[in-house]
Amino acid sequence: MLTILLLVPILGAVSLLLGKGDRGLTKICALLQTALTLTIWFAYDRTKAGYQFTFASDPLLPGLDLRFSLGVDGLSLLLLLLSAFVSLAAVWLAPKAEKRPQLYDACILLISAGVTGAFASQDLFFFYAFHELALIPTFLMIGLWGSGERQAAAWKITVYLALGSIILLIGLVDLFLAIPSPNRSFDLVKLQQIEMHHLIPVAKQLRPWCFLTVGFGILVSLFPFHSWAPTGYASAPTPVAMLHSGVLKKFGLYGMLRLVVPLLPDAGKLPVYSNWTAMDLLLLALLGNILYIGLVTIAQRKLDYVIAYSSVMHMGYIFLGIASLNLIGLTGSALLMFAHGLSVAALFAVAGAIREREGSLSLDRLGGAAKSVPFLGICFAMATFASIGLPGFANFASETMVFFGAFKDPGSSFIRTATILSLWGVVISAVYMLRAYKSAFLGAPTESSSKWADLTGSSKLVLGSLITLLLLGGFFPKYFISYLKPTLELALR
Amino acid sequence: MDHTLPWLILLAPLLSAILVLLFAHRSKSLSVSLSLAAVFVSLIGSLMAFGISPEALSTTFTWIDLGPIFKLNIGLKIDALTKVMLLVVTGIGALVHIYSTVYMAEDSAKSRFFGSLSLFMFSMLGIVLADNLAMMFIFWELVGVSSFLLIGHWYTKESAAKAANKAFLTNRIGDFGFMAGILLVWSTTGALGFSEIQNSIGKLTENPTLLTITGLCLFCGAVGKSAQLPLHVWLPDAMEGPTPVSALIHAATMVAAGVYMLARIFFLLEPSAIALTVIAWIGAITALMAALMATQQNDIKRVLAYSTLSQLGLMVAGIGVGAWAASMFHLFTHAFFKALLFLGSGAIIHALHHEQDIWKMGGLKSTMPKTFITFLIGTLALSGFPGLAGFFSKDAILLSAYHKSSGIFVVGLVTSLLTAFYMTRLLIVTFLGKGRTEAAKHGHDCPAQMTLPLILLAVLSVIAGYPIFAEFVFGHENFHAVHAAPHTILVPILAIGVFIIGTASALAIYKGKNNDPIRISLFSNRFYIDEFYAALIAGTQDMLASLSGWIDRYLVDGVIVRGLSGAAQGTGYLFRLLQFGNLQGYAFLFGAGVVTVLYLLIK
Amino acid sequence: MNQLTLNNYLLASGLLFTLGFAGVLLRRNIIIIFMCLELMLNAANLSLVAFSRFHVGADGLPNYNAQVLVFFIITVAAAEVAVGLAIIVALYRARQTTHVEDIQSLKF
Repeated sequence: MLTILLLVPILGAVSLLLGKGDRGLTKICALLQTALTLTIWFAYDRTKAGYQFTFASDPLLPGLDLRFSLGVDGLSLLLLLLSAFVSLAAVWLAPKAEKRPQLYDACILLISAGVTGAFASQDLFFFYAFHELALIPTFLMIGLWGSGERQAAAWKITVYLALGSIILLIGLVDLFLAIPSPNRSFDLVKLQQIEMHHLIPVAKQLRPWCFLTVGFGILVSLFPFHSWAPTGYASAPTPVAMLHSGVLKKFGLYGMLRLVVPLLPDAGKLPVYSNWTAMDLLLLALLGNILYIGLVTIAQRKLDYVIAYSSVMHMGYIFLGIASLNLIGLTGSALLMFAHGLSVAALFAVAGAIREREGSLSLDRLGGAAKSVPFLGICFAMATFASIGLPGFANFASETMVFFGAFKDPGSSFIRTATILSLWGVVISAVYMLRAYKSAFLGAPTESSSKWADLTGSSKLVLGSLITLLLLGGFFPKYFISYLKPTLELALR
Repeated sequence: MDHTLPWLILLAPLLSAILVLLFAHRSKSLSVSLSLAAVFVSLIGSLMAFGISPEALSTTFTWIDLGPIFKLNIGLKIDALTKVMLLVVTGIGALVHIYSTVYMAEDSAKSRFFGSLSLFMFSMLGIVLADNLAMMFIFWELVGVSSFLLIGHWYTKESAAKAANKAFLTNRIGDFGFMAGILLVWSTTGALGFSEIQNSIGKLTENPTLLTITGLCLFCGAVGKSAQLPLHVWLPDAMEGPTPVSALIHAATMVAAGVYMLARIFFLLEPSAIALTVIAWIGAITALMAALMATQQNDIKRVLAYSTLSQLGLMVAGIGVGAWAASMFHLFTHAFFKALLFLGSGAIIHALHHEQDIWKMGGLKSTMPKTFITFLIGTLALSGFPGLAGFFSKDAILLSAYHKSSGIFVVGLVTSLLTAFYMTRLLIVTFLGKGRTEAAKHGHDCPAQMTLPLILLAVLSVIAGYPIFAEFVFGHENFHAVHAAPHTILVPILAIGVFIIGTASALAIYKGKNNDPIRISLFSNRFYIDEFYAALIAGTQDMLASLSGWIDRYLVDGVIVRGLSGAAQGTGYLFRLLQFGNLQGYAFLFGAGVVTVLYLLIK
Repeated sequence: MNQLTLNNYLLASGLLFTLGFAGVLLRRNIIIIFMCLELMLNAANLSLVAFSRFHVGADGLPNYNAQVLVFFIITVAAAEVAVGLAIIVALYRARQTTHVEDIQSLKF
C-alpha cells in the first residue's frame, strides 16, 4: 500500500519528464495520493502502537542492517495525511508555468514523493535520502520559476540546507556509533524499542544531541539558523512555498520526535556552558524564534515575507512542546506540526493567488480585496485565525497542549519562564497577522483589487478542504490525538 | 431532558451560525429566520433552566483526552449565577435580534451579520455555561473573534477595520495574562474545573505571593474583556460596529463577561487582600476617568460607551470590595438599561440617517415620542433615580464600599454624580430644544420591531431592581448576599443627593444651548491616553520591530550568513589572483621553482 | 690542444638551454617562443648524447639508452611542432596576432 503511495508521484513525475502528460495527469496523481492516504488513515488500527502497513526488502549491504523498508505509525500517518492534502492543494492552486510546464509539474510531484518517502521510511538511511530527494526539486523550482531575486534565494537555500543536511548526517553517524555495537541498526522500528531508550550512556548523549538538534534545527529554521527561510519562501513559486513550509520543513521536527526524544532523553540536562544546560540553550533559541522573529515579522511590509517569517516563528512553539519532554507537550507539538502545515499552506496559497492577480505582494498596494474575492478573503481570514491560535482551529488545541505540557513539570527552571514569555508571542502573532489581513482584505478596495476574479469550482473545494481539516482538528482534537498517543507514549517510555 | 438542556441552549446558535455562514448566506430572509429561531430556542431553554430543581447541573464532553495526566473538558454547568447571565444574554440577545431585522434591513451583508451574531451568542453562552477555566478561555477567545467580525462588519470603512483590529489586539493582551493565570492555577492545584479548584484551594493559599500573582493574572483577562484601565481604549472605538452590536456586545453582555468571570473565581481572589485592593482601585479609577471622559463627548454612541466603561469600573470595584453579588446585581440591571439606551440611540441614528453628533440633533422629543420616553427611563435608571433599577444595584455596591474603603466609596459617589450629569446633558441636547438640522426636524419613530424591544427593556429597567423580581432571578441565597452589608440610611441619601446635584447642574448648564458651553480638552481627548498608547506602541513595539527587522536583515543575514559565505568567496578570490593568465609568467615561476628546488637539493 | 671533456659539452648544452629558456620567458612573439622551446629540447638532446658518449660501459660500447631517448625526443618534438604550428596558425586566423600579450582571455 505504502509502496503504491510512493510510486504514484514518482511514476507521474517520470512520465512528465519523458514528455507524456500535463497538469491533468499531475492532478490525477495528487488525487490518487490523497485517496490512498485516506484509505490508509481509515484502515490504520489506532489502538496499537508500532508500525503498520510495513514492507521491507532484504538487506541492501552485507554486514549492515540496511534495507528499504516502509511503514507508518500514528505520527507518520498524520504527517502523511498532511502531505497528501497539502500536495493536493499545491497542485491544484499552482499557477500555470510559462516555461517548461512539464518539468514544473514533475518537480512538484517529486517533492511530494520525497516527503512521502521520508515520512513512510522505516529505515534511517532512506529517511535521510528521501528528504534530500525532496530538496533537489525545491531548489530547482526556486531557481527556475521563482520571483524576485530567485537565483540568490535558490543559492542561499541550497547551500544553507545542504550545510544543515551535512551536520545532520554527522549527527546521525555519531548517534549510530554512540549506540553500543550489538544494538546498532538503521531500522527505526528497532531504534524505537523500549530497551533502546536508555542504552546510550548519559555522558555520551550530548554530542549527537547537539549535532542532531543543530542539523534538524537548520532544516526547521530554528533561530539563529533561520535566514534561509524568509527569502527562500518569498521567492519560491506558490506550490514550493506551500509544500516546503507546510510539509517538508516538518521533517526536522519529525526527526526530533523520532530520534532525539527517545534515544537521547537525558542530553538536555547536561551542562554546555557554565551552568547553562543544553535544554536551556534550546529554549533560548526557540524564544528567539517566538519573540525576536515575531518582532521581525511585524516590521515586514510584504505579505509573502509576513507569512514566511510567521512560519519561522511558529516553529518555536513546536520546539517548546518538544522541549517539554512529556506526553502533553509532545502531542501538542505533533498536532501543531499538522495544524501549522495546513494553515501556512492555505496562507501561501492565498498569497500566491494574490500575486497572480496583482503582481506584487506589497501590503501598501493592496486593500479591500474581501469585496471582490470573498472566498479568498474568507480562507485567508480562517487561516489567519488558525495561525494566531483561535479556538475552533487545530492550532489552538495544539498550542494549548504545548503550553500546558511545557508548564507541567519543570525539567529545567527556565522552561516555565520560557512558556510565559512565549505566551506573549500569541499577542505578537495576532498583531502582524491581523495587520496583514487588514491591509490586504479590509478597507476601501483599491482600483486593481476591485477587478479581481475569485477562485472557482474545484480550487475552492481543495482550499476549503485545508480549512475543513483545521476545523476538524480544532473541534475534535481527541480524534487526531488518538492516533498520536500510542506512538508518543512509546517514544517517552 | 435536564442534561440535554444546556447543550440545547449552547448549540442552537452554533448550528445557526454554521448554517447561515456556510449554506444560507445567499438567502437573507432564511438567514434571519434561522438566527432568530436559534436565539429563541436558547431563550426558551434559559427560561426553562429556572425550573430545574437541582442547584447545580453539569454535563461534559471530553475535548482533549490524554488519559489520566491531562484532560480538557467542555463541561456545562447551570447554577444560580449562570441562570442570571443566561437570562441577560438570551433575553437581550433575542430583543437585539428582533431589532436588527429592521435596523440592518438595507445592509447588503445581512446574512453575514446574523451569522456572526449567532456565533457571538454561541461564544457568550459558552462563557456563561463553562464549568472550567480552560473552556471559559476557549469561549473567551471566540467572543473576541465574533466581536472582531461584528465591529468590522462594515470592513470597507478604514476606521471600522482599524477598530476591529484594535479591539482584538487589546483583548489579546488581557488574554495573555488570563492564560498565564490558568497555567499557574493548573500547575499548582492540578485542576481546571471551578469546583475542583475550590476543593484544592488550600494548595494555592499556602503560598500567598503565588496566589496574588495568579489572581492578578486572571484579572488581566477581565481587564481586557471588561475594558478596564489600562486596556479600555478598544471599547469606544468598537462603536464603529452596527448599533445593535454595540447594545448587545459592547454594553450588555461581552464586556460584562469580565465581571462574571471575576464573580466566578471570587473564591480564588478573596484570600488575597492585595489582589482585591488592586482590583478595587483599578475599577474605581476606570469608573471615575471614564465618567469624566463621557462628559465631553459629542458622539451619542461614544457618550454611552464611556458610560459603559464607567459602570463596568464600578462593578469591578464592587468585586474588589468583596461585594461580588452586588456587582452581579448591577451587571444584571445595567444590561437592561444600557441595552435600552444603545437601542434608543440606534433608533435615533436610524431615523436621522446615520447622524451621530448630538449637537446636530435636538427637539427629538416631539418627533420621536416613544423613543424619548424609553430613553428617558433608561437615563433615569442609569443615573440612579430612586425606585428604578440602577438605584438599587448601585446602592448595593456603594454600601459595600462604604463599609470597606472610604476612598472607593467617595470615588463611587463622584462617579454617580458625573453619571447623572452627562446622561442629563445627553438627554437635553438630543431630545429637548429645537432641531438643529433638517434631518433632526424630520425625525420619526421607528417600526414596531424596533420600538417593541425598547418598550420591553424600559419595563425591565424599571422592575429589575425590585426584590421580588431580582430574588426570583438570583435565587434566594444569592439575593441575600447582595444585601449582605449592613444598611445605613446615609448611603441612599448621599446617592440621591448626588443624583439631584448632577441632574440639576446639567439642566442649568445645557438647557437651551446650541453648542457646548464647557470645553475641557483633557476630557474630550480622553486624557490623551490613545495618543499616549500610539506613541508607546510606536516607541516600543514598532521600534523594536524595525530594530529586529534591521538586525535580522543586516546582522544575522548580512553579517553572519553573508559573512560566512563571503569568507569562503574571499578565499577563492585570493587564490584566483595567482591565476594571472600570462603563460610566460607561469613559465618563469616554474623555472624559479625548479631552480629553488635544485638549489635546496644541492646545498 | 686540450681534449674535449664532458664538462665542455654540458656547458654548451646549459648555455643553449638558458638561451632557450630566456627566450621563452622574454620574447613576445609566439613563433619565437616556440623556436626557443625547440632550442631547449635540443640542449637536452646535446647533453644526452654527450652523456652517452662519455659513459662507456665495461664492454667498451657507449650507453645507447641516452641515444634512444634522443631519438624519442626528436620524434615527439616533430609531432609537437606540427601540432603547435597548427595551433599558432589557427590562433592567427582567429586573432590576427601572434603576440602573447594580446592573448589573455583566460585571465580573469
